[in-house]
Amino acid sequence: MLDATCPNCGAPIRFRSNDLPVKVCDYCRTSVLRTGDSLQAIGKIAEVPDDVSPMQLGVRGRDGAHTFELIGRVRWRYADGAWNEWLALFDDGSTGWVGESMGRYMMLRAIDHSGMRTAIVRQLRDGQHVEVGEQATIDGVDYWVSDVKDVTVVASEGELPFSAPLGLAATSIDLNGHDGECASVQKDKDGEVEVYTGRYLSLAELHATGLRSFEGWPMPDLRA
Amino acid sequence: MTDTPPDPAQLAPPAPPPSPASTVRALSCPNCGGIVNVRAQGLTVSVLCEHCGSTLDATSPDLQVIARANEALKKPQIPLGTRGTLNGRVWEVVGYMERTDEEIGWAEYLLFNPYEGYAFLVDDGRRFSLGIMLDRLPQSSWGGASLDGQGYSRFGTSYPVRVTFVVGEFYWRVAVGEKVDETDFVRPGTMLSCEVYQTERTWTRLDMLDWGVAEKAFGIPGRRREYSHPAPHEPSPYKRQLSESLIIGLVALFTLGFISSLGGREQQIAQTNADVVLDGAEKNIVIRGLELPAGRSRMAIDADAGAIDNAWVDLDYSLTDEKTQDSVDTYGTAEHYSGSDSDGPWSEGDPRPEVSLSSIPGGRYDLTITLSAHRWNKTGGGQVPTASGNYSPATPATSSDGRAPVGIADMNNAAQSSDPSANGWGSASASGGEAIPVSVTIKRGGVFGGVTFLAFLMIAAWPLVILFKHFGFEKRRKAPVSGSGGSSDDDDDSWGDDDR
Repeated sequence: MLDATCPNCGAPIRFRSNDLPVKVCDYCRTSVLRTGDSLQAIGKIAEVPDDVSPMQLGVRGRDGAHTFELIGRVRWRYADGAWNEWLALFDDGSTGWVGESMGRYMMLRAIDHSGMRTAIVRQLRDGQHVEVGEQATIDGVDYWVSDVKDVTVVASEGELPFSAPLGLAATSIDLNGHDGECASVQKDKDGEVEVYTGRYLSLAELHATGLRSFEGWPMPDLRA
Repeated sequence: MTDTPPDPAQLAPPAPPPSPASTVRALSCPNCGGIVNVRAQGLTVSVLCEHCGSTLDATSPDLQVIARANEALKKPQIPLGTRGTLNGRVWEVVGYMERTDEEIGWAEYLLFNPYEGYAFLVDDGRRFSLGIMLDRLPQSSWGGASLDGQGYSRFGTSYPVRVTFVVGEFYWRVAVGEKVDETDFVRPGTMLSCEVYQTERTWTRLDMLDWGVAEKAFGIPGRRREYSHPAPHEPSPYKRQLSESLIIGLVALFTLGFISSLGGREQQIAQTNADVVLDGAEKNIVIRGLELPAGRSRMAIDADAGAIDNAWVDLDYSLTDEKTQDSVDTYGTAEHYSGSDSDGPWSEGDPRPEVSLSSIPGGRYDLTITLSAHRWNKTGGGQVPTASGNYSPATPATSSDGRAPVGIADMNNAAQSSDPSANGWGSASASGGEAIPVSVTIKRGGVFGGVTFLAFLMIAAWPLVILFKHFGFEKRRKAPVSGSGGSSDDDDDSWGDDDR
C-alpha cells in the first residue's frame, strides 16, 4: 500500500498492491507509473465511455474462499463489439480478472504457462493461425476455441498491472469448456503471451455487492 | 496541462451521482432524425431504427449508418421498451427479429436486464419459450444431447435459419438475410438449440412458458389454447390429466372392489331336488320364506339336470315378495344333446343353467319353480332345439312328490302360482316316462359379474381416452415440422398475426 499524490494534478492517489505499478488518476485521468517509491506521469487516458454495466470500481464479491474488490478496469473493443475486464484484488493480495461480455461474467486468473505444451499457446507465441473449434487442454481441463480476435484498448481506469492507453493492441483467444470452464489466451504487441483460466459465474455466484444502481431497475440482493 | 488540483477539502473519490443512472439513452437516427432509444449502451453493437429501419453501428459514438432503409416497418406485438417479469426476473424488450427455416416462421424478442444480461423470448405464434444462452456445452449422448443429467433427443436434422426482419438493438451485428445453421434437441418442456454462425457456435436453452404467462407479463392478449400443431418441446397437456385420471380410476376400482365385497360371499339359502318325468306332466315347487337382507342384494338360482341327454328341462321361476306380492319372473333351460354324424361325435347344451337376479330389495320371498322335461326326437326333429328358440309352452300339469325341505311345499299346497295353468291337481306320474332328477340351489349375495365388469369398463374408459389423446399429441409433437403447412414466403408472418 502506498498513499501519494498525482504528479500531474496533486490529487491523492493510492496504490493498494505492490504488484500493480500503474494507476489512472481519478481526477485528471493521468496514467501514473510507480517505480519503487517514485511516481511518473506517463500520459492521459481517455474516460471510459458510459455503459450499462452493474460493475464499477469498489464492487466487492467473493470467489471461493477469498473476497475481492474491483480496483481497475480495461475496456477493450474489437470489430463486432466491446467488453470490460475488471481487475479484482483478493484478500490474500493476489489478483484476477472479471471478464464482462454480453451481460455474462467470467472470473479468470493468470496461470504459469512456461512449461505448458498446449499447442495454441505455442501457435499464438509463434504467430501461427489458431482455428476456432480447436481443442486445447490446459491444466488437465479440455477447452475448445470459441473466438479469435484482434482487440484494442478503448479506455482504462483505476489500478492496473500495465499501462493501457487508447489503442493498445493485442490478440485474444477465448476458450470454453464443458462445464462452465473458460479460458483466455492473450498476446500483447510485444509478443508476451498470458494464459488465464476460470469459469463463468453469475453476479449472484460472485456475491457481488456495491453494484451500480439504475433508474427503474430493482437491485438484486446478492450478499453472501 | 490545465487540470486544476481539487480542493483539499474534497479529496474523497468522486461522489457517486445523486440519482441512479438511466439505462436508456435517447439518440437521433442519422438517417431519419427519429429518436432511437439505446437501452443497453456499451453492450449493444447494432441498432435498427424503428422509424426508418436503417442499421446503425452502436459501437461508433455517433451511430454511424451501416445500411440505409426507408421502408414502412411492422411493429412487434410486444413494443420495444416493454418490461415484464418472468420467473421473478424483470426483463425489458430491446430487440425483435423474425426468422424462418423456409417452412415456418417465428419471432424472437431480445430481453435485457442490466444485472441478468440477455434472454430470448421466442414466439412460435402459439406459445412462448424463454431462452438463455448456455455457458456450458451439452454432452452428446446416444445421438442426442445431455445437460445437467437430463437427456434430450435430437429433433430432425440441422437446418438453415434466416433472419427476415429486425428492429431494435442487439449485442451482435445483425442483418436481414443473415443465416445460421440450427440443430435442436428436445425433451418435453425444454429445447436445446445449437446455432452455428460462420465459426461461432452457441447453445441456447429454451424453456416453454405456461399458457398466458408471457402474454400477461408483457401485456398482450392471451393466446387460444390448441394442440393441433405442438412445438417439438411442448409438454403434453394430457400428462397431468393422465396421472389424475389414473389415480381417480384406481380409487374407483378400490371402491368398486370394496362395494363388491360388501355384497358378501355367495351364500346358499335353499336347495331342492325334484324328479321330472320326460314328456310328462309339469311340476311345480314352491320354496317359501327366502330371506334377503335389507338393502338390495343379488340372488342366483342354479339348476342342475346333470343326467339328461338329448332332452331339455324348462325351468320357470317366479320370485314373489310375501308382503307386497310383487313378483319377478325369469327362466332357465337345462339341456344336453349329443350324437354323431359325418364329422364324428358331437354334443352341445348346458345341463346346469344359472340365473341371476340383481338388486332384489330385502324381505321374505317365495320362489315358485315350474319344471317340465322334454325328449328331443332325433329322428323326427332333425334340428337341435335351443333354449331361446324352443321355449316350451306349459302343458297340463301334474305334480309329483318332491322331497320338500323346510319351507318348500308342493304346488298342491301353494297359495300362489305364477302360472294359472299350472294349478292342476297332482298325483304321482303314471305316464311311465323316464324321471330326470333336477336339483335347484338358491344363493344370495356375491358379486354380480356383469355389473362389476361394466363398472370396470366405465372406470377404465376415461384414463384410456386420455392415454390415446396423450399418445396422439406425442406423435404430432415428434412429427417433422414440414407437415405443419407453414408458408415459405420471405415475408412469412403466418404466426402471431391471427392472435392480435
